[in-house]
Amino acid sequence: MKKKVLSVLLASAMLSTVLAGCGSEPQGNSSASGDSQGSSSQQSSSSQSSSQSTTQSSSATQSSGSASGEGTVLKWAIWDQETTQYWKDIKEAYEASHEGVTVEMVDLGSTDYMTVLATELSGDGSDFDVVTIKDVPGYATLVQKNAIIPLDDYIKNDNVDLSQYAGATDQVLVDGKLYELPFRNDFWVLFYNKDLFDAKNVEYPTNDMTFEEYDALARKMTDTTFGSQVYGAHYHTWRSAVQLFGVLDGQHSILDGEYSFFKPYYEMILKQEADGVARKYTDLKTEGLHYSAAFSGGDVAMLNMGSWFIATMITNLQTGEYDSSLCGNWGIVKYPHAEGVEAGSTLGTITGLSVTKASDTPDAAWEFVKWVSGEEGAAVMASSGNFPAIMTDTVMNLITGLEGFPEDEASKEALNVSNLYLEVPYAPNVSEINSILDSYHGSIMEGTMSIDEGIEAMNTEISKVLAK
Amino acid sequence: MAKMDEAQKAEKIASLQTELTALISAVRTEADIKKKRKMIAEIGEYNRKIDTLKSGKLLSRETKRDLVAYSFIAPNFIGFCVFTLIPIIFAFALAFMKWDGSNPIQWEGIGNFTRLADDVFFKAALKNTIIYCVGTVPLTMIASLALAIVLNQKVVGRGIFRTLAFFPYVASLVAITAVWKMLFHPSKGPINNILYNVFHVPQENLPQWFTGSLVLLSMILFSVWKYMGYYMVIYLAGLQGINAELYEAAGLDGANTWQKFRYVTWPQLSSTTFFVVVMLTINCFKVYDVAVMLAGGGSGELTTSATVLVYYIYQKAFIDWDLGYSSAVAMVLFLMVLIVTIIQFRGQARRERA
Repeated sequence: MKKKVLSVLLASAMLSTVLAGCGSEPQGNSSASGDSQGSSSQQSSSSQSSSQSTTQSSSATQSSGSASGEGTVLKWAIWDQETTQYWKDIKEAYEASHEGVTVEMVDLGSTDYMTVLATELSGDGSDFDVVTIKDVPGYATLVQKNAIIPLDDYIKNDNVDLSQYAGATDQVLVDGKLYELPFRNDFWVLFYNKDLFDAKNVEYPTNDMTFEEYDALARKMTDTTFGSQVYGAHYHTWRSAVQLFGVLDGQHSILDGEYSFFKPYYEMILKQEADGVARKYTDLKTEGLHYSAAFSGGDVAMLNMGSWFIATMITNLQTGEYDSSLCGNWGIVKYPHAEGVEAGSTLGTITGLSVTKASDTPDAAWEFVKWVSGEEGAAVMASSGNFPAIMTDTVMNLITGLEGFPEDEASKEALNVSNLYLEVPYAPNVSEINSILDSYHGSIMEGTMSIDEGIEAMNTEISKVLAK
Repeated sequence: MAKMDEAQKAEKIASLQTELTALISAVRTEADIKKKRKMIAEIGEYNRKIDTLKSGKLLSRETKRDLVAYSFIAPNFIGFCVFTLIPIIFAFALAFMKWDGSNPIQWEGIGNFTRLADDVFFKAALKNTIIYCVGTVPLTMIASLALAIVLNQKVVGRGIFRTLAFFPYVASLVAITAVWKMLFHPSKGPINNILYNVFHVPQENLPQWFTGSLVLLSMILFSVWKYMGYYMVIYLAGLQGINAELYEAAGLDGANTWQKFRYVTWPQLSSTTFFVVVMLTINCFKVYDVAVMLAGGGSGELTTSATVLVYYIYQKAFIDWDLGYSSAVAMVLFLMVLIVTIIQFRGQARRERA
């Protein structure tokens, strides 16, 4: 009898959980969306009030941090913790200078960082306070998902001078609001292998080359003899490495919806591939050959790549990862430019920090963002050979003075950028535009589509997106 | 008070009893079978009510028994509900909505589906998926059946050959795609080297195995090679289930090898074949890993010549965060699999009746 009572009890308990499980889910969802709306208005009011408090005194935020009891913990989303030095440097430097704040890093991996991050920040279960923004399409996604908060009030109240970011922040404004502060700013330069030029008795590339001169130089350096091939140039499989030569004149952008300005560059590079000046795109795709492996292999004379590769080169040559007899003697020069365009115009990529909407301590998070993007953070970044978003002369000297940085004057001069165009500026549909351009870039480079067909397809498909 | 209750109860039981007797007599005279069944069910209902009243307990014995039974399936069912059923229903609903995972959901109606008709990338993905299925399903079936028949004979080293045929299925997909990419490398791979050196195919005409129109062929060949071992094992089991007397009888009737296959093996294997084809079709429509690994390169992005439906669903959902549209594409995939499977089930049912 007792058993029966027990079993009935059990059964009813389980049934009720079944019903609860089935029934409450959609309710929970609807209440969650309601909540998020509610919390958004709450959030904005609280951020306003809190920013008012920050105007009163910057120590107010610190006191509010200590008021909570056992210090503030900031959860920070990053990638590649093991292989990238500066995350740890920043964490340690910040914790040392800010009593009671602990920075907890969460590594989401680099390959699909922004996708994973967007998933993490969907709904309201996230506990990140600060997130690193890796690229602009991902930034656009997070802004549209209301996952990160605008920083304008904070910026105004703390008098952060945006002009020190050299216009980069203007290219990621969303309806006049800024949702991230850059702490790292990479720009594209031309890496070259001095040994190969010496062996052929060819003059080194210069800081002021037109595309014709660059193409001629690449052809001069090329050797197609089997067994001792030298490739005059190398283009990584990214779209940026090929078609974005076209935006350097400052008159075009990938948001235009009309892309015939890509054509001369596709022609130049496909011709180079056909003549053995550069490795074939299809080969690179099949092998998954990384640009660093290509350049450090010692058979590539010139490589256009972002300035992040400088730190990689220095570190890997020091550790012996790269054979210094193959690529130890390297240099950099400014990007080649089209006729009539100022030398030193180049592509840039910013890496930024944002404060999440879900953060319990947005003020402390903002303090962290401000510090990392500011001059103290810049010094930490530069100490490991990385390019901070704020380029001062001190920072510049710090980098060019690093052991392993090329010693010639041209390489130092190459770091002076005259015009910086973001690889992907902000637009509401930029994620979709990016996917479409990537897809047709692949088709053109594979030879599945002719250059004209590919550009025509880009025009039609992106016009559709822009018309939405 | 208690006595009053007792009296009320007795009265209620009596009234129920009279209704019950009336019903029973009605059932006896009722001619319509459907109505009769309904009435019999009602009789059971009355009996239960009377029992509960008589025993004075909250739950009748039948209800208790049912509850105990439900409690046994409850753990599994709760899991199924939370992790499978609700997401599926939600996905169906999402196909008619617009949602980015964070902002409030908006009603979209059939807008998502009308957009599909105008979407170049969706059409490319649909076309590629269908070509891949049409190529892979019959080829894998034929290859695995042929392997099974050969390895069901008493050949020397049968065990070794069976293991070898099963090997690709066991091996990790990432590892073997790397090997395939090396073999079919457009300029350094041994296959193109043979074509160049032995068959004197000019260098610019060497096949680019992982791009353009050839990429689908590469994908089909790859998955036939990888999965035929698995279906071979299923066919082997089927072959060993065939009664040897049938072959003996066929032999006595003077059937040759082909006739034995045609009139004994093939019909006897029909349920195995049915299983193999259904599983293959479903797996083919789900293709994603093979495409991304073979044609994706380092970044895993697929061009229009290699994109497949599942990749497009992923891209729309987690890169563009257009969850409604992505669900609509998923519905198309679901419908395709459903229709193909229904057709196969119908065909199988007809064959079994014949």
